[in-house]
Amino acid sequence: MLAGIDYFIVIAYLIGILLLGYYFKRFNDSSEDYFLGGRSLPFWAIGMSIVVSDIGALDFVGISGQAYRYGISVGNFDWIGSVPAMLLAAFIFIPYFWKGGMYTIPEYLGRRYNNTVRTIASATWIIFFAVDLGVLFWASAVLLNVLMGWPIWISIMVTASVVGLYTYFGGITAVVMTDVVQMIIMFVGGFALVFLGLQAVGGWDVMAEKIVNLGPEYDRHFDLMQPSDAPTPYPWSGILFGLTFVMANAYMIGNQSIVQRCLTAKNEWHAKASMIFASSLKMLIPVLVLFPGLMAIILHPGLEDGDQALPMMIKNVLPPGLIGLMFSAFFAGLMSSVDSLLNSTATLFTKDIYQPYIKKDADDKHYLKVGKLTTLVLLLIGIATAPISSYYPGIYVAIQTFLSYFQGPIFAILLLGMFWKRTTQWGGLAGLSIGIVCSFILNTVEGIFTIEDPFLYVSWWSFVVGFVVTVTVSLMTSKHDDSRLKGLVYGA
Amino acid sequence: MLNFDWLSGVSAETAKWIFLIFFGLIGVLVVLIPNDYVFEGVPQGDRRWWNNLKLWAIGVLLILSFIYYIF
Repeated sequence: MLAGIDYFIVIAYLIGILLLGYYFKRFNDSSEDYFLGGRSLPFWAIGMSIVVSDIGALDFVGISGQAYRYGISVGNFDWIGSVPAMLLAAFIFIPYFWKGGMYTIPEYLGRRYNNTVRTIASATWIIFFAVDLGVLFWASAVLLNVLMGWPIWISIMVTASVVGLYTYFGGITAVVMTDVVQMIIMFVGGFALVFLGLQAVGGWDVMAEKIVNLGPEYDRHFDLMQPSDAPTPYPWSGILFGLTFVMANAYMIGNQSIVQRCLTAKNEWHAKASMIFASSLKMLIPVLVLFPGLMAIILHPGLEDGDQALPMMIKNVLPPGLIGLMFSAFFAGLMSSVDSLLNSTATLFTKDIYQPYIKKDADDKHYLKVGKLTTLVLLLIGIATAPISSYYPGIYVAIQTFLSYFQGPIFAILLLGMFWKRTTQWGGLAGLSIGIVCSFILNTVEGIFTIEDPFLYVSWWSFVVGFVVTVTVSLMTSKHDDSRLKGLVYGA
Repeated sequence: MLNFDWLSGVSAETAKWIFLIFFGLIGVLVVLIPNDYVFEGVPQGDRRWWNNLKLWAIGVLLILSFIYYIF
């Protein structure tokens, strides 16, 4: 499928990214440099990095496939499912974390509640990120194998070598600055596909008319709002309660790999601006990933597997050269996800586990070494565990489900911790633990929900349970001194 | 109740207006944020209108509202 020019573009891209990332080695003299970029990065770089690390190669294919099946309602995830939460993060949460000089979200939870809450939250993220790394390697390599015929192990080793080198040496500065280039490549490749795809279908109006005329199952393909009893995973009630009120906030405010980027900002204004700038770029993502799925309905009707929509579009719409660029965009998506996982997990381990529990008062150079070593070990674990995915085809979905267990309860205790002085450490611990158990029950007991794949409803109800338990237990236990809450609670 | 059955009578068109009102509400909250807070980090003499993050946020919300109004 690839022509000579395509190979040239892909190889030039990989070498360029490697050199660019390696260049930032010189800026890492302390653990603050390695984990927080010396708190010196500008908003535009951070904003671009947030957007690109949030979308991987698998999302390109998966979201196009969902658009092929369900229409534009899947775009809710990047529009209402991101923008309001990013504004809340920008104006309320990020400034608090930035001013507090924090490295991790669990660090905030530890200061606000206690070390047990910090350790539970941190260990959860570490396990999730570490397992996700291997799965991501494998799933993306399989995708590249299907699309381009590249051998699976070559994809894994190339990605691991390039990302591993620049993340190990360059820390988060290399991660953010390479993400800037990755985002530009992703947008250029994606928009080229959309532009040529629209020409192939005769323009937007013609495409919309043709799709709606295909039959009653396509009637709602251009409606963002799906009725609350519609048999899709995205009814408007789930979008509002599960996605907008809980999952989006939990992701944008409680996800280490997102928030850590904002903590690298050179001042408070840049920290806030980075999130708002990212929200404006985020609104363009559905155009890149969703439109090709819609175009494929006209150009390749009747696909049994919607996930074939994007590969078919690339194959039949893009000329040589642009295919190489699109392939580089897939690599960019994969590498930006992997570098985020590596650096964030190294930060969580060093700051929340190693420093408090293993070696407390070492000098800063020691923690810098531990961070680098953790990055390397994680990379090796990711490569070693990647083939396990081939034995468990549903593991990618299982890991995302595992993450959804924690989203609601963690957001509940973050929200109450930030806004309600009366929240106590025991309230937070109980809310987090019982909320997670509630998520697990809702996910595993069959017959509770009537819609397909009810993860949006599970998030909402586990948030409600976490919230109510935190409030109840807090009221039953003695409140914290005001001096302990200074700088941790809004208005305290 | 867990399936939000009590909302099944609300049409998708009404839901769209609920979302638009929600965006409007966020917009009002953004406007109410004190100016000094949004400029925090920019030296007093360098504060220009393009540094006003409230304008950025309102711009983003207007585009979002337009998308939801159209679709």
